[in-house]
Amino acid sequence: MSDIRMPTLHTAGLAAAEAAANAALRLSPHSIEALKPLAGRVLALECTRPAITLYIHSEANGELRLQGVHDGPVATRVTGTAKDFASLAQAEDPAAALINGGIQLEGNSSTLLDMQRVFNDLDIDWEAPLVSGLGDVAGHQLAGMLSAAFHWSRQSGDNLRRQLEEFAMEEARLAPPKLALEHFYEDVQQLSERSERLEQRVERLRLRLERLRRAS
Amino acid sequence: MSEEETTHFGYRDVKTAEKAGMVRGVFDSVASNYDIMNDLMSAGVHRIWKRFTIELSGVRRGNRVLDIAGGTGDLAAKFAPMVGDEGEVVLADINASMLRVGRDRLLDKGVRGNLHYVQADAQYLPFPDDHFDCITIAFGLRNVTDKDLALRSMLRILKPGGRLLVLEFSKPRNPLLSRAYDAYSFSVLPFMGRLVAGDAESYQYLAESIRMHPDQETLKQMMEDAGFARCDFHDMTGGVVAVHRGFKS
Repeated sequence: MSDIRMPTLHTAGLAAAEAAANAALRLSPHSIEALKPLAGRVLALECTRPAITLYIHSEANGELRLQGVHDGPVATRVTGTAKDFASLAQAEDPAAALINGGIQLEGNSSTLLDMQRVFNDLDIDWEAPLVSGLGDVAGHQLAGMLSAAFHWSRQSGDNLRRQLEEFAMEEARLAPPKLALEHFYEDVQQLSERSERLEQRVERLRLRLERLRRAS
Repeated sequence: MSEEETTHFGYRDVKTAEKAGMVRGVFDSVASNYDIMNDLMSAGVHRIWKRFTIELSGVRRGNRVLDIAGGTGDLAAKFAPMVGDEGEVVLADINASMLRVGRDRLLDKGVRGNLHYVQADAQYLPFPDDHFDCITIAFGLRNVTDKDLALRSMLRILKPGGRLLVLEFSKPRNPLLSRAYDAYSFSVLPFMGRLVAGDAESYQYLAESIRMHPDQETLKQMMEDAGFARCDFHDMTGGVVAVHRGFKS
């Protein structure tokens, strides 16, 4: 039994998100083509805070189907907090973000990385819907303006991020370099694994001690 | 069953043998405006209820699905691409008018190939034993004369491990919502029916038949009594609608 508390709202939200995602995909033909080879695969995104699970089905026509309940097999299951997912979605290098972030991954990571890449490379062709609605001349001009604005905002965002990174690392020395940070994360992960092992070992010793005490 | 036995048709007691004909009359009358009226009456929310039912269905490629009382084919249209060419969807309805509207609508949408149409009574389903992976009946069970007989018939043709999903109007949990819902059903619905479909009586029957339908716990018990295992249900929109699920063990 699924633990969805308000199915109507939950399902309405998913339906709206699915419609928006598929509308965007239909305007970006190369993204639809890139998703077609993933047909039949199911990606589960399990957000622990807030507790929401989303199943993304890749359809044969390149569109996506979003569900809150799924009984069948899952190609990839990704678990993390909303913050972890946001970091992964914005990451320049998703593979590194997966390794170093708080995300837990089960199954085949390629489904997740392929989908993330498709959405990062989304290049919406505004011309077709605008031309059919506004006519050839106005539609073409407006599409050109929208496309330029879309690319400008994406480029500006990249530039701003790069400059902020540079400023934070080089000028203000507020943040460590990326490589040092990755090493630090690795160390933390190793420390966490070792602590877990130590905890298990202490627990085992405690149980053994108890058994010996009872025997004597 | 003797000819003199009675059952309910909305709030009226009618001879059991006559109910199917009377229900047929209602749906013959509403068939052409069925989709418009559904959207108007539920403000489009019936699509969300059906979508959630599909999520619970667990249907995948290669499955065989039966949609009973499938009407204008909302569920069947969604199931057809999910089962793919290897699978099969059967849209069944007792009412020829509804089936015709459904078939025309789905053909217009380009849904064909793995979709078949059968005029059938839910009480006596004309399919072999252990045949379907999933059976759905959306807003249809309350119109069936003998619900227990229909549930047993569905169990027979389900494969072991297969599931039945019953999407149906139910009982709102909140007394305030219940009162508002009553006012809406008995005043607004017949008015809309008269205005849009030119038929207030059929929509009066709709409101009455909803009130006569078993509540969530009773329907779950009926499914268990018919032999379904692991039965559960989800309330939607405060219990105005519930989707029941049961498996064939």
